Amino acid sequence: MRAAVRTGWRIGAAAAALRGRAGRPLSQAAGESGGAEGGGGSGSREAVERLVREHPVVVFMKGSPAQPLCGFSNAVVQILRLHGVEDYRAHDVLQDPDLRQGIKNYSNWPTIPQVYLNGEFVGGCDILLQMHQNGDLVEELKKLGIRSALLDAEKDQEKK
Amino acid sequence: MRGPLLAAFGVSMGGSGGPLARTIRAKLTAALQPTHLEIRDDSPRHGGPPGAETHFGVLVVSQQFSGLSLLQRHRLVHEALQEELAGPLHALQVTARTPEQWHSDPKAPQAPPCLGGSKKEQRRREEVEQK
Repeated sequence: MRAAVRTGWRIGAAAAALRGRAGRPLSQAAGESGGAEGGGGSGSREAVERLVREHPVVVFMKGSPAQPLCGFSNAVVQILRLHGVEDYRAHDVLQDPDLRQGIKNYSNWPTIPQVYLNGEFVGGCDILLQMHQNGDLVEELKKLGIRSALLDAEKDQEKK
Repeated sequence: MRGPLLAAFGVSMGGSGGPLARTIRAKLTAALQPTHLEIRDDSPRHGGPPGAETHFGVLVVSQQFSGLSLLQRHRLVHEALQEELAGPLHALQVTARTPEQWHSDPKAPQAPPCLGGSKKEQRRREEVEQK
């Protein structure tokens, strides 16, 4: 089990090296604001800024909404689904190590998933869950012009 | 990722706290003076080797959270564990309540099940897409 984990990690790192770093000139990386943050490129402050502003709801997660690869990321997907939010931008940080580090630098938040509403970081899975439970998420979605599906439902979770 | 190294410290699985658990407890106690503190080691549920301390959940009840947003509360917890989060602590679930909130709802949420993380990502890339 231990060997398999380590092998998997090494393969992942090697694949990432092939994917992310070939051909990126050092001068370009150094020139971006924040310098070596996230290794430049897709993890730079500017690149992340562009991503979080792309859509009212942006999620950085492990895996995809169709196939989350982390229980915490899955929780975020499920909560959004409960509110009828299916149209949002999801970025799989496992596909991009620069982004994985860059998003943590950007929000000064150490873990994935990360949820951004209207370009603003609101938190991870724990916070989203609490916002969902105390009704804040419905309000925040309303501010974005998104009507939560739960407003149309019979508030079943309170009966539970 | 540093699970195998931590295992070398000889921490037995299922004990009430390995070295990282004790560090987390000490740092959170010093930083937040909690009236109630629970630390849960979820690492065995995430496929790590025995003794790996990588995934934790913490329930912190502290008056210092009063008046702070959820984001601010979680940031305080992260700040206290900055070193660990930059190192072996791979995942941290946080529940941060004031004493009043804890009194009215003394239940700690459980962690969601692991869905494989980066290890599964490798297997997925090799297989045909399922589902």
